[in-house]
Amino acid sequence: MSDQTAPHDHTAGHDHGHGGLGKYIAVFLALCFLTTMSFFTYSAAWPWRDQPQVGWAFMMAVSCTKAMLVVLFFMHVWWEANWKYVLTIPAAMMAIFLVIMLIPDVGLRNRMVSQERALHMARPSDLLLLERAGGGQVESSHH
Amino acid sequence: MSSPALSVPHDHGHHDDGHHDDGHHGHLKLQYQPGLPLSRGKLIMWLFLSTEIMFFAALLGSYIVLRFGAAVWPKPHHVHLSEPIGAFNTFVLICSSVTVVLALEAARANKTGLAKIWMLATLLLGSLFLGVKGYEYQAKFSHGIYPWAPHGLIHERPDLYYGSAVRARLEEPAIIDRLKTLDETPADQLTEEQVSARAALQQVRALVIDPNQQAFEMAVVADQIMPLPAEGPGGDGHGGHAQGINDVFPWLRLPILIPGGNMWASTYFLLTGFHAIHVIVGLIVFAVLLGYTLGPKNAGMIENAGLYWHFVDLVWIFLFPVLYLF
Repeated sequence: MSDQTAPHDHTAGHDHGHGGLGKYIAVFLALCFLTTMSFFTYSAAWPWRDQPQVGWAFMMAVSCTKAMLVVLFFMHVWWEANWKYVLTIPAAMMAIFLVIMLIPDVGLRNRMVSQERALHMARPSDLLLLERAGGGQVESSHH
Repeated sequence: MSSPALSVPHDHGHHDDGHHDDGHHGHLKLQYQPGLPLSRGKLIMWLFLSTEIMFFAALLGSYIVLRFGAAVWPKPHHVHLSEPIGAFNTFVLICSSVTVVLALEAARANKTGLAKIWMLATLLLGSLFLGVKGYEYQAKFSHGIYPWAPHGLIHERPDLYYGSAVRARLEEPAIIDRLKTLDETPADQLTEEQVSARAALQQVRALVIDPNQQAFEMAVVADQIMPLPAEGPGGDGHGGHAQGINDVFPWLRLPILIPGGNMWASTYFLLTGFHAIHVIVGLIVFAVLLGYTLGPKNAGMIENAGLYWHFVDLVWIFLFPVLYLF
């Protein structure tokens, strides 16, 4: 039993070294800044309003950066030994595989639909109709 | 457990230099294997978190695939999502992640009182997050946006089925009585909003009775019942949108039209619901931890609870842009 506790003591001692209030505050400020950045895509100042793909790519990049900051510093993974890769990389790969496997049946589900279903499912033209019907009222509500 | 048994031959004087002790044993190259350099509790928490990664990746991945595979998907404002509220909740969770880290640092430094304050702050911030989430859910429910049929009022298309659903609601005995009372109320006893909503309701009643309904007329009906707010920061989806009949007369609960709204509601409530359940579990853990002395002896427990909480924060980091800004 003593053989097993020895490495833990070492880890605990190691953990004391890497903390530090300054580091956490810096990560916190970075997270706040990045949240403001993703919120920026919603603001009127965002230049690519007519190209939503730019905003999506930007927000995913921001989210991944935020996630990395939380995992590396708040969850202390930066200072952990190599076991971290054994747990995180296969889990992340499984997650990506799952999404890819969903694409043919779920993502492309509207390529071929039954007539029955096509009759009742929403179409982009429905949204246009609704926007046109509401044009006057929405407009007047802003004045 | 087998590791100490393997290391028995080396224990006689060569315990410290495990890598260079093969001289006495010929070809046998055994070395001491300490296992993973982390405590059992932390190992189990990380194993649990790796299953959680897959769980939420499945939910989030399904959402993204469903969303981009859909013919129509509602804009955040169409479903009364408010980006500033989402951003505020993101900020609250980030703050709570910091406080739990500070609680751990204080506990390791044997500042038990300070650790308890940070832990309490985490608990309060988590509760604030849940409160805001509840407020947001209420905004959906009050507009008839539910993930299931008996309460949900969402229809997908401005077609005959929608028109007949509105008519059916208007012909319910209880509604007929209230409409009669409303019709007979003198205009000076109503607010300006109620008068104009009553006029809009008259138009809706005339349109849904007409047997030659066209899609555009049904879109007009839907717009009178619950207008879809304009996009962008100006046309905020929260309170600032044009008032519909359902907003002025909540007892009417007329069917509403949100193209793609049913799938949106299912995925939104599933994702945020599972996240909220995780937040609640985290809050229970923090409440239990507050009963302990938060010193170096219990730092392991705080660390494990913190790992879980950071993961909950991590999930929200992805949920916020995907649900509110995409």
